[in-house]
Amino acid sequence: MNSRVSGKVRVKFGDDINTDYIIPAYILQEAWDKKFFADYAFERYNPDFVKICRSNKDNIVVAGKNFGCGSSREQAVYAIQYNGVNAVVAESFPDIFFRNSINNSFCVVKVEDVSDISLGDRLEIDLEKLVVTVDGPDGRFQKQITMNEEERDLLVSGGRLGKVKERLKERLLATN
Amino acid sequence: MVNNQTIVEKIVSRAVGKTVHAGEHIEVLPVDKLYFNEVIAPPAIINFQEDFKSVFSEAQQKNSGEISVWGEGGKTKLKVFDPARVCFIPDHTVPSCSVKVAQGVNLMRQFAADQGIKMYKEGDGIEHTVVTEEGFVRPGEVVVATDSHTDTVGAIGALGFGIGTTEAEYALATGEIYDFFIPETYKFKVTGDFLPGVSAKDLILTILGAVKEGGCSKKVAEYSGDTIRRMGMDGRFTMCNMSVEMSARTGIVNPDEITRDFMRDTISRHPELSQELSARMDAGSLASVKSDDDATYASEMDIEAAKIEPQVAMPHSPANTKPVSEVPDEVNVVFIGSCTNARHTDLAEAAKILKGKKVHPSVNLLVIPASRLVYNWAMSEGILKIFADAGANIESSNCGPCFGKHMGVLSPGDRCLSTSNRNYKGRMGSPEAMIYLSSPATAAASAIEGRITDPRRYVAS
Repeated sequence: MNSRVSGKVRVKFGDDINTDYIIPAYILQEAWDKKFFADYAFERYNPDFVKICRSNKDNIVVAGKNFGCGSSREQAVYAIQYNGVNAVVAESFPDIFFRNSINNSFCVVKVEDVSDISLGDRLEIDLEKLVVTVDGPDGRFQKQITMNEEERDLLVSGGRLGKVKERLKERLLATN
Repeated sequence: MVNNQTIVEKIVSRAVGKTVHAGEHIEVLPVDKLYFNEVIAPPAIINFQEDFKSVFSEAQQKNSGEISVWGEGGKTKLKVFDPARVCFIPDHTVPSCSVKVAQGVNLMRQFAADQGIKMYKEGDGIEHTVVTEEGFVRPGEVVVATDSHTDTVGAIGALGFGIGTTEAEYALATGEIYDFFIPETYKFKVTGDFLPGVSAKDLILTILGAVKEGGCSKKVAEYSGDTIRRMGMDGRFTMCNMSVEMSARTGIVNPDEITRDFMRDTISRHPELSQELSARMDAGSLASVKSDDDATYASEMDIEAAKIEPQVAMPHSPANTKPVSEVPDEVNVVFIGSCTNARHTDLAEAAKILKGKKVHPSVNLLVIPASRLVYNWAMSEGILKIFADAGANIESSNCGPCFGKHMGVLSPGDRCLSTSNRNYKGRMGSPEAMIYLSSPATAAASAIEGRITDPRRYVAS
């Protein structure tokens, strides 16, 4: 993934958006292909979500605290990611959703406060400098991203698969 | 002997082979046990084959054909890290409720047979109940599974984490998870006795109401105090199960004599596990799975059990709690089941209230025991007969309508009282349905009255 991610804020949510809201359970077992879940994103919570994302590109979702809480379903990440959403900027993420996002190279960034980010603002996320630049009607300002170095590196380098393959290879060769 | 450690720090220290504390970054955390349900196993199996095929063939070539691959004419064989430490449990929507679900279960069965992984059958029960009853998960182990309610296994003193498809697929290959940050612990100390009609569910709902959905974020919830020490395993499972509802990394209880009794019971059903489990139950080895008195906690909360009233979580959040006396709302569906509240004492409490009574004419009461073991026990104890005589629908063991896909999906306008753990809008079907959460006792009393009812009226009489 590029260390710079940009787009426009198309949807803004409040606190405690759970993964049931992001993708309802009844659809989870009906496909094994990640892209399938895009059509059902926020189906029961915000039925306009898919329409809004599809009629635009380079979408960014902004949310309050605890975005992605509840069920561990990774399909929640796919549902957002495959609607042309480049990033979710939120005040906090629970660990399971955060880890699932990074494993899919999906950009999730935590900032202190999202109250000054509005629909239509243009955001530029710089993962090297760990800042989000917000460009809105009232001008341009920056917000600090809170992220561990390990998590940042993983996100930029495209997840853990390469490392896991290396470890597996070492083990297979060592045990024979 | 290591001091100043929480049970979480001790378990992780043992797993990584050095003394560690909260906040530390663990690059590679070996896991002891890994289990899958039928929601996540099929894509995880497919991704495992895709992602690691090349690694296995490369190793095979270098090792002159020693490693042989699953699934494609037997050319290269993919192997999971250790089949004895993995199990598959189809539980969310079984017996299969759609063709794709059935295909997924069959894919699991085929893969399990080929790899030598234990595959449970439809109806054997809900994963978190099965893995503890069957002695698959033990105190002091690091456990990961493809479900957020893996926190349930904390009741026996295991460190259980819910993980997504990708992490599970990687763990299947290597038996490891990566870049783990050791969480701090939030200690909930509960003292005194519950009033009659009040149970573990009312306690965890009270805690949730106090700390809210994000209140234990990044931390492990440890339940302690004399109330927890006297609480049976079923109540401890309920407490740990709902830890994720306050965004805890997991929930945990220090193992004790009650944990040992639970394991002795497992041994009586599985004599073949006697040696392994007895070693775990040994006082010395259990003492190493216990928070030290001088362990450091990030937060602490004291709760007096006697002050707790039966609680109801109102739509649409498990943290939106009220005392039952303030909620007279009518209900037309009551569900007694799920990984939260469908074990022996849960069903026994509900049956005590329903004995000789009839379910209200406008209520559909669904009862789903947590496992085949619980189901058969409830049958032999006459508990299923009490439910049946009262007019309940009793289904074979699975997650039931909590997952919102089968066995009682809600329509717009339905008002459901459930003993499960989540009442998010749309969780059990239509977003225009209302879902309330309560204890099994409150659910049983409410099924009789057709409205949310204080169970103490029935417990006292």
